[in-house]
Amino acid sequence: MRAGVGWGVVFGLYVATQSLAYATSYKTMASRRLLVQQFGNNVGVSALVGPAKQIGTVPGYTAWKCLTVLAIIGAVWGILSSTKLTRGEEDVGHWELLLAGQVTRRSAARQALIGFAAGAIALFITASAITVVVGRPSKVGISAGGAIYFALAIVTGALMFLAVGAFCGQLSTSRRQAAGFASAILGASYAIRMVADSDAGLSWLRWATPLGWIEELQPLTTPRPFALVPIAALVGALAVATVYLAGRRDLGAGTLANRSSVRTIRRLPTRPLGLAFYLSRSTLLAWGASIVAYGLLLGSIAKSGGKIITSSPSLRQVFSRLGVSGAEAYLSVALLIMAVALTFVAVGQVSAARKEESSGQLDNLLARPFSRVAWITERILVGMVVLVCGGLLAGLATWVGAASDHASVSLSSMLGASLNVAVPALFLFGAGFLAFAVVPRLVSVVTYTLFVWFFLVEIMGGVVKVNHWILDLSAFHQMAAAPATPVAWTTNATMIAVTLAAASLGVALFRRRDLKGE
Amino acid sequence: MVGCLGPNGAGKTTLIRLLLGLIVPSHGRAEIFGRDSRRQAVAAHRRLAYVPGEANLWPTLSVAETLRLLGQVHGRVDQSYQQELIDRFSLDVTKRVRALSKGNRQKLILVAALMTRADLLILDEPTSGLDPLMEQAFRLCVNEAKQRGQSVLLSSHILSEVEALCDRIGILRAGVLVEMGTMAEMRHLSALTVEANFEGTVPDVTRVPGVSMVESQGSTLRCQVRGSVEPLLKVLASSGVLELLSREPSLEELFLSHYGSSAADVANVSATP
Repeated sequence: MRAGVGWGVVFGLYVATQSLAYATSYKTMASRRLLVQQFGNNVGVSALVGPAKQIGTVPGYTAWKCLTVLAIIGAVWGILSSTKLTRGEEDVGHWELLLAGQVTRRSAARQALIGFAAGAIALFITASAITVVVGRPSKVGISAGGAIYFALAIVTGALMFLAVGAFCGQLSTSRRQAAGFASAILGASYAIRMVADSDAGLSWLRWATPLGWIEELQPLTTPRPFALVPIAALVGALAVATVYLAGRRDLGAGTLANRSSVRTIRRLPTRPLGLAFYLSRSTLLAWGASIVAYGLLLGSIAKSGGKIITSSPSLRQVFSRLGVSGAEAYLSVALLIMAVALTFVAVGQVSAARKEESSGQLDNLLARPFSRVAWITERILVGMVVLVCGGLLAGLATWVGAASDHASVSLSSMLGASLNVAVPALFLFGAGFLAFAVVPRLVSVVTYTLFVWFFLVEIMGGVVKVNHWILDLSAFHQMAAAPATPVAWTTNATMIAVTLAAASLGVALFRRRDLKGE
Repeated sequence: MVGCLGPNGAGKTTLIRLLLGLIVPSHGRAEIFGRDSRRQAVAAHRRLAYVPGEANLWPTLSVAETLRLLGQVHGRVDQSYQQELIDRFSLDVTKRVRALSKGNRQKLILVAALMTRADLLILDEPTSGLDPLMEQAFRLCVNEAKQRGQSVLLSSHILSEVEALCDRIGILRAGVLVEMGTMAEMRHLSALTVEANFEGTVPDVTRVPGVSMVESQGSTLRCQVRGSVEPLLKVLASSGVLELLSREPSLEELFLSHYGSSAADVANVSATP
């Protein structure tokens, strides 16, 4: 519930910033017409975030900018929370306690589903309240009914994938596996939607994917509420199937058979740290592949992206002062998105270290001749290498994409920019390990709060006048908009120095503290 | 071989985690083989092996993979003994840890510790979840280790296990070591148990010097006596005693005499097999 309200606020603020930004940047009809010309039929942009319909109006633009993005963020949240609260709780044995009482497996599953529905409703109410308020001024002009329908469309992403996550939790034998299955379904839905949106002749394919149904709701433009039918049917069917499977399978087991033995001994890394990475290799590979795919895609529309910036009077003003072309300016925005994604990877790395401690697995290593300092130092170093490589991957993939679009961006400037991308992630990573050493039980709260803070300050800072002290507190704001502007190596060096200091302090303090369980 | 006894929450696991340097003492220090347990933890750990009460392993690894990893982290493994242990505990090395029962996980972590032939074995309630056959296999292994000159610190609340295996026993109570010695020493310090059957009514012995824990049931009297037994014998002889049995206290009685004050503690102990 609380998470639902929290994400509702984030969703609402995102809608607010996008609609207000458009209303203030494109004041004249001429500037809007130009935007429509460039985007109305752009295949790349359409494949990425959906077709740009009626972007000459504030509601149309808002719907186009927010719908797919927020539906995907909602879907990811849905998968993470539903697999955590069902399968994750089962993995650690909490369900066993419940089920030993007067609760049956089916009623436990039903209760969990009702909880998810409550979360989705909280998300819906919060997001629609903010959208109604934001839509009221005449320069935005979104009717209350339209705003509520729009919020509903956004929330369907979270709702469907809460159900998908809960269903996958019944199929698999661990939370990780469940999240993997559900993410694969989300990935496939996105891929099919991309194909459907890349060619007008294939638009029927939209009916084959949940993300397509959300698009077919067409909020704020030409609403088609009957697209709610497949959405409701999917959610209902998955809920029924979840409850049914929950009653059929054994606790702790999955519906799909899982290999419980391994015939051959795999060649595992000999260091414990190598093992930690070996075990999380599928997560890291998935992140790497997503970063590359997203980089290629964002890069391949560099030219048209550049044109939006050129066509926006206010943005053009900002960038022309810096003397850069539209494509470079666009790529710097694309890389900012990568920086946010990479920071999320950093948060995951810190949480993984904490999980190794809280689960008691670390005891097995540290009770043997393996020092704490070696363990945490290796963790930090390898995490940093992962983040820097992630940044390079992001930059290279975006460059390759941009080169295929014949955008004039040099490889060297993109390499500099890609190192730049890793800096906020490294900063949060260092701060995270300091928190890990000082307040181990609160480390997830601290790192996620920092992440959300950085993110919110950055998106708010782009729209409303915010005190520069507050802006300076966001690691994303410290990042130079490379390749549009030169990389601020001095700022980056300072941030890296702070990161290293925080991480070293973390190592020193970790040596002196107790190992703590949950 | 030292046994460490105490009911739940007495501080047995905390003591062991302090010795291993996993938690930091608020004051004081501990040494293992002359090495500071915290500052020179790695050097100390080279010569010891630890079995936690709960086996928190990597669920996706197989038994063989887990043994290989833990062996590599320790650095020294007696390969032939490892195989012998796997056979003795009938472990299926191809199984994934996720698919193992609690008892089988415990067996795995026991094998991982014993296969190192470390100079010191620190065992924290090592037999929780083991069936009687496996418990026997465990006792055999620990006795072998003893004979090879390895030291063992066994923490447990299973009295029979400690009594059967340990040379010296320490009793912990609320974090304080209240008693330490061999079974013989502890018995010497402690009271004798006396059981007597009478022809007629059971005499009142509660006022006799040295007598405590008096229980009477029908014509049977049971009590403990500390110091000289003469005053008690006089009373018994004058009351027409038919049968008299006296014996040294069992570990359970020794243990109860330290915890007897609290009913909850007694319940804890009597619940253990």
